[in-house]
Amino acid sequence: MTTPRSNFTVGLAVLGAIAVVIAAAIWLGDLSPGGPRTLEVARFRTLGGVGVGDPVVLRGVKVGRVEAIRLAADDWVEADLRISQPDEVPPNPVAIAVSASLFGEWQVAVMDSARAPTDPDIRRELRDARIDAGDRWPGATLPDVGQLTAQASRIASDVAAITNRIEGAVDSVAISDIRSSVRDLRRMADQLVSFTQQQTGQLERVVDNAATSSGQIARASGHLETTLSRIDSSTSAGEIDAMVRDAREAASELKQASGDLRLVTSTARDQRERLVSILANTDSALSRLNRGEGTLGMLSADTMLYREATRTVVQLRSLLADIQANPRRYFRFSVF
Amino acid sequence: MLVPQMLRLGVQSIPIALFIAVFTGIVLALLASYIFTGTVPLYFVGALVGKTIMMELGPVLTGMALAGRVGASIAAELGTMKVTEQVDALETLAFDPASYLVVPRVLAATLMFPVVTAFAIALGVVTGWITAVNLLDLSTVEFVKGLRMFYVPKDLWFGLLKAASFGAAVALAGSLRGLSTAGGARGVGRETTRAVVLGCEAILVLDAFWALVLL
Repeated sequence: MTTPRSNFTVGLAVLGAIAVVIAAAIWLGDLSPGGPRTLEVARFRTLGGVGVGDPVVLRGVKVGRVEAIRLAADDWVEADLRISQPDEVPPNPVAIAVSASLFGEWQVAVMDSARAPTDPDIRRELRDARIDAGDRWPGATLPDVGQLTAQASRIASDVAAITNRIEGAVDSVAISDIRSSVRDLRRMADQLVSFTQQQTGQLERVVDNAATSSGQIARASGHLETTLSRIDSSTSAGEIDAMVRDAREAASELKQASGDLRLVTSTARDQRERLVSILANTDSALSRLNRGEGTLGMLSADTMLYREATRTVVQLRSLLADIQANPRRYFRFSVF
Repeated sequence: MLVPQMLRLGVQSIPIALFIAVFTGIVLALLASYIFTGTVPLYFVGALVGKTIMMELGPVLTGMALAGRVGASIAAELGTMKVTEQVDALETLAFDPASYLVVPRVLAATLMFPVVTAFAIALGVVTGWITAVNLLDLSTVEFVKGLRMFYVPKDLWFGLLKAASFGAAVALAGSLRGLSTAGGARGVGRETTRAVVLGCEAILVLDAFWALVLL
């Protein structure tokens, strides 16, 4: 049975529900029913994670929503952007699709082309999108967290490769080579010290012998002079014998000095041969190093290692700076 | 015939729907806080409460409650008419029972389930917000931020569309079982139970169907 009261109640409930829905849609959607609204079209090569309903922001302030997304000719994607404050749009606008938070939200940031990101890929995308764009805004997409993660993974791989190389450079063989080289150098130094000491002793002895010999020769000369003077006179017997005896002693001492000199020469020859052997070993090790053989040689000759390390440091520094500037871009947690 | 059915099936079902929505909002806010604390910013409580109530719990729980209330009511009413031969009397008077008895109920349920669900959703979100502000360390601004962050218009009409389909299914299940009643009072009770079970099953199947089609 229909009564006015039941009609009123049902009508009130229906109208109330409609009002609730409309109010909720306006409030939740942050829509402004009044005011100017324009529909702009932006075109992208890819839209990343942007979906219908995602916010359009201008200088960080929400000024609209993505109203529609469609595939266009020549591999383009077009997005209709409903802008609620068209007067604020810069004169030469570009649309950049960016991740809005760590949790999978995306947005389209509208900015003047002069303020677009300086990344070469973004600039190239914008240049391409501007060609024959007509009234459409050129658009580009910043890498999403997945791409950044892949890049970070590649950097981590490079770091791992460098670490492996460094680890290989200081492996047991390299350490053994270095220890052997140190031992050779120490042995060489010891031999040089010993050689020097030996040569010093020998020379001292030679000098002593030479001094002795020269004294004896001087004495012999004196004796000879005396003898000669006495020969002239030929007055005393036995003086010639003394002279001959002195000459014999001098010859004997000269013979001893000659033997000492031979010993010194022989010792010097031995030491020279040992020194030549040490230098040959050292030269062999240095030659291997120059030829890039062995771990140390590979390390010193491989310029790629240096380039990779430098590039990795630059990439890591850039990544850290970007993480500090945009921490939300690197972490993604999608709830829905 | 339509307005009385809208009043009985819809308006008079609002209290039970609101009762369910209140506690759903409270539980969801507490549950979201429990899940998110320490891992996700707490303003996601607003997102979880809003999305879940709008898209899933609001329509489904309201539909389930109304399947019991409305489906049982329709099945019992039509079953009693059937066993007391009132349906036969209508046919004798050249009334088509389907158009005279079923269509108004199905239409009323289809129209009023979204109305009831809209109120339930609104109250569920509001109670979730009140819970978050009073029981959790969350401000209104943060809750609203989360609520708006993931909102898209589709969330709302998706839930209301599901509610309309649930209403039609529940009314159809009640009418079908009611008009199939035989065996007196025991038959009425049996078919009423079957109508409620069938209505709940239909809601779950439709829920999955809409999720597959529209999400």
